[in-house]
Amino acid sequence: MIPYILYVLFALGGAAIYLAMPKPSGSQRRAALVLGVGVIAGLLALMSMHFVAPNSNNFFFYMFAGLAILAAGRVVTHPVPTYSAVYFALVILCVAVLLVIQRAEFLAVALIIIYAGAILVTYAFVIMLAQQSGAVSTDTRAREPLMAILVSFVIAGAIAGKIEQIDAVPVKMTAQVPQAVTDVPIETTLPATEMESGHTKAIGEIMFGPYLVVVELSGILLLIAMVGAIAISRKQVPIEDTGEPKLPVGQIGREVPPF
Amino acid sequence: MLSWLENQVVFSAVLSLVLITGMMTCVAYCIYFERKISAWIQDRQGPNRVGFLGLFGNFHFWGLGQPIADGAKFFLKEDIIPARVDKPLFILAPAISMIVALIGFVVIPWGGSYMLGETLMNVQVANPDVGLLYILGVGSMGVYGVVLGGWASNNKYSMYGAVRATAQMLSYEIPMGVAILVVVLASGQLRLEEIVLGQVGGNGLWNIVLHPVSFLILLITLFAETNRAPFDLAEAEQELVGGFHTEYSSMKFAMFFLGEYVHMITGSAFICVLFLGGWELSFFGIGPAFPGTGIEDVGLISVIIKIGVLAVKVAFFIFLFMLVRWTLPRFRFDQLMRLAWKGLIPVSLGILLLTVFGLYMGWQRSVLFNLGGEIAIVAATLGVVVLANKPVTGRQDNMPAVTQPLGG
Repeated sequence: MIPYILYVLFALGGAAIYLAMPKPSGSQRRAALVLGVGVIAGLLALMSMHFVAPNSNNFFFYMFAGLAILAAGRVVTHPVPTYSAVYFALVILCVAVLLVIQRAEFLAVALIIIYAGAILVTYAFVIMLAQQSGAVSTDTRAREPLMAILVSFVIAGAIAGKIEQIDAVPVKMTAQVPQAVTDVPIETTLPATEMESGHTKAIGEIMFGPYLVVVELSGILLLIAMVGAIAISRKQVPIEDTGEPKLPVGQIGREVPPF
Repeated sequence: MLSWLENQVVFSAVLSLVLITGMMTCVAYCIYFERKISAWIQDRQGPNRVGFLGLFGNFHFWGLGQPIADGAKFFLKEDIIPARVDKPLFILAPAISMIVALIGFVVIPWGGSYMLGETLMNVQVANPDVGLLYILGVGSMGVYGVVLGGWASNNKYSMYGAVRATAQMLSYEIPMGVAILVVVLASGQLRLEEIVLGQVGGNGLWNIVLHPVSFLILLITLFAETNRAPFDLAEAEQELVGGFHTEYSSMKFAMFFLGEYVHMITGSAFICVLFLGGWELSFFGIGPAFPGTGIEDVGLISVIIKIGVLAVKVAFFIFLFMLVRWTLPRFRFDQLMRLAWKGLIPVSLGILLLTVFGLYMGWQRSVLFNLGGEIAIVAATLGVVVLANKPVTGRQDNMPAVTQPLGG
């Protein structure tokens, strides 16, 4: 029963995003907002009834989860790219709060530093450089909205339906190491005291213990990508000869007599 | 009597209230001292007229009433929102720079532990597992205020200021992060309180003795991150009118400024905690701590002394900030970028490698290895610069020279 309710909710959510997409004739934003808020409320209500046991942290979870979904909707539906970037930053912050609620402080702060602090600022930088005169008409035309929404919501619905079928996981941090990396599967269970004080150290021990090869490989991959990006973007631009005499390096202007 | 205070949450709430009040007062008087110091450097008088409503006759208290008058002026001025600006972001931007500057200080350990009744309190608003990364994260959010303000103003000078600020902050965050990483590796901790405890006299030396070049790099990047001269290209008055805050007036303008000064205080406290032993009082961590200021001294007087020690260290850095601002001229933009990418980043990466090697060999506490290695790295860098014999301008070699008429 629950999967079908989920699928209906996801279909409605897709419809809300479709309505809110920027169109030259003006989008049906008010209807989309009502529908979207309804879908989020339905999702959260479904979760509160079937998935999570009530405790004091749940209020913050629902608040920031709802806010994150709303902001994510605005990222794809806002006609001004700078606003999309700002809403994306809001999504990142909300997700960071959700991670803090789950006691994953390290992940939360890393998410903020990397996404909100570096990647998004670069996005904003590019957007500002590319487009200094406010909204242009291309921003009010969504490109293939129907296909994009169909694909993304079908994927999201499939994942949600599958997650719903998994039995509740016992509250115990386990790290199953695949056979390919090491020969012996390692199971790490954190003692209660370490859970209380956060587990940055434990994450480090897992990352640079059993998963060392994977971490280093992905690091090398990123390094290669960075070098490649620099090699592609950095071109020597030939400067056309203006006919003026070439001056020695470092000298500004032509030499003028003192009087 | 004070049993309701014996709870870290309540204590933190009270502490943050006290800190915000104290911080705002400090900021007001920082501006006063900035004006006094600039006057002193330029052989002027500075503000010396505003007293306290003439209550004391002709005695004006060296103009100490000036910050109050300034604040009142900011509140009473007309708040202009120009017609063609992007209104939501225009209002949001100063708020972001203010908020980001203010939430940074919650993880600064101001005075060790305090025995209140029966309970041991941290004189720190929050002590998260990732305190150091938290400061980095909050600092990296600071650029949003400048960027959004500059973009929303719909003014080409603001825009240029915002673009410059973004490029500058993105560039200087890299050496800053690496310099901080050196301290993390050396002390093996991300909690700021633990980093301070590792530097208390008897436990270990101050990190500035072990890693002086990292300290200098962090100091330089802090100047850049707070947009202070000589890195104040985002608001270069001579070129960009006012830079990113050209269109701002009244309290919105003041909020950008308050943000900058709070950022200065937080940054100074941060650098004191990382490299100068925070609230610790001894000679660079050599020998035992001054009596009454050790880790075990948790009485009220000890805590007050510790807070005072940190305050004096912070005040020194703020004085340094102001001295530098009124002494050095502004960098040109290409010089700024070259300093970060060709100067600070290679040197800081070299120091990081050195520290990792020291950690591997178990020499992370050896003064000889760390100090000698860092000096060698700087000497090697300078040697490369001298031997390369490149012109000191950042111009492309094959660029046509600009011909300037005689007399400019």
